[in-house]
Amino acid sequence: MFDPRAFVEEKVDELRRTITGKAIIACSGGVDSTVAAVLVDRAIGERLRAVYVDTGLMRKGETEEVRRMFDRLGVHYRIVDASGEFFAALKGQVDPERKRKAIGERFIRVFEREAREFGAEYLVQGTIAPDWIESGDGVRDTIKSHHNVGGLPKDMALRLVEPLWDLYKDEVRAVARFLGVEVSERQPFPGPALAIRVIGEANPESVGVVREACAIVEEELEAAARNGSMVRPWQYFAVLLPVQSVGVQGDRRAYGRTIAIRAVESVDAMTAAFSRVPYDVLERISLRITNEMKANVNRVVYDITNKPPATIEWE
Amino acid sequence: MRVYVVDNGGQWTHREWRVLRDLGVEARIVPNTTPFDHLGQVDALVLSGGAPDVASEAARMGNNGEYLDRADCPILGICAGMQFMAAHFGGRTGPAARAEFGRTRLYVDEEDQLFVGIPKEFDVWESHNDEVKDVPEGFQALAHSETCAVEAMRSLRRPLYAVQFHPEVENTAFGTDIFRNFLRAVEEWRR
Repeated sequence: MFDPRAFVEEKVDELRRTITGKAIIACSGGVDSTVAAVLVDRAIGERLRAVYVDTGLMRKGETEEVRRMFDRLGVHYRIVDASGEFFAALKGQVDPERKRKAIGERFIRVFEREAREFGAEYLVQGTIAPDWIESGDGVRDTIKSHHNVGGLPKDMALRLVEPLWDLYKDEVRAVARFLGVEVSERQPFPGPALAIRVIGEANPESVGVVREACAIVEEELEAAARNGSMVRPWQYFAVLLPVQSVGVQGDRRAYGRTIAIRAVESVDAMTAAFSRVPYDVLERISLRITNEMKANVNRVVYDITNKPPATIEWE
Repeated sequence: MRVYVVDNGGQWTHREWRVLRDLGVEARIVPNTTPFDHLGQVDALVLSGGAPDVASEAARMGNNGEYLDRADCPILGICAGMQFMAAHFGGRTGPAARAEFGRTRLYVDEEDQLFVGIPKEFDVWESHNDEVKDVPEGFQALAHSETCAVEAMRSLRRPLYAVQFHPEVENTAFGTDIFRNFLRAVEEWRR
């Protein structure tokens, strides 16, 4: 059975031997990269700097929340606002793989600048098994290019260190609990962030719409879990679809976009079943989205597809 | 006990490795291009699933045929691994009339060694476009689903087992039990 204590001891020792100079870690504040940051911090201390990139694609209040978490964690960190260059790279991109690759490359360019500034030659990433499995390789089909694996540019100058390579989310959480990392139970959030929750071009407008819808889905499902009407799903969010449909709002014709709600149960993200969210909880989400976001959205649907054949995120 | 997972490029090859590791076995993933003679001392092989159509893309299945011909240890074929095993020994495979993705009801027809101590009917997770139409001579079908006649099979002459569904994923009920049963068969073979 997987033993978090043995894993931590072995990895810290290995990291101490591998990283001879300075390193930066790409840290989103999620469980994978935060666990990786704590491991590397234990191994090399002040020679590590955590870098959080505000891509402009993050959820509501996320950057501030991560800043407070880093303060409590006590790691050395820097928050970089790179939203301008991310949106510039995403302009006109509608293909999911091209979006993912554009984001992967932008991340690396930011990290290269940060590494140069800090004098680091290593880049630590919280890559876990599903990231490299789904990114494909010589024998495996590419399901989606995860930004931290398949989205890496070929001419990258940094040396990669990925201590969680063989782990799945449940094992990373076990390590997080063992280390006392507060984000151990945080729901997974993909690196390309809200860009892949907008079908079509991700721009400040479309990302703004899905950000609002994601916040409502999170608030309502978490409230339902707190009051005991359901168990909090493993992952839950909104997707903005470019599909427009006719509606009626206060006797006026509406022709707005569609939000799909996605909530799934999983252990390791390699298979997933859609969550049996009670109808009244779904209705509350639908009412809030269509009322609070009336200018943009007039239809809400619930995704009832398992993985396989779907994946958890839509892109 | 040492068990190698032959990587045929499946999404869940690494999951097979993880389940075996968690069952206390010395597990390792090996590329399917590894020559049989380089495998060394091994107590069992698992032939993973993968994207190849075993009929038209046999080359992508690497040395699976050599392993089946030369290894005398128990072998468990999963998904494409099962289809390859069936085709290799003269069975018939082809596109399924209806694909099976995700949750599927499994009906066990023969308890055999693989399904000992497991209900006769339970939910498994699948991900396949092709299927085994006829098992090879000397093999017996062990389970079926509503739309797939061969969900599991075994050789009556050698310790060769195969399943079309994926016992290595979390959503398959009794998946770990099926691996445990396979490892028990490996134990018996070693004695």
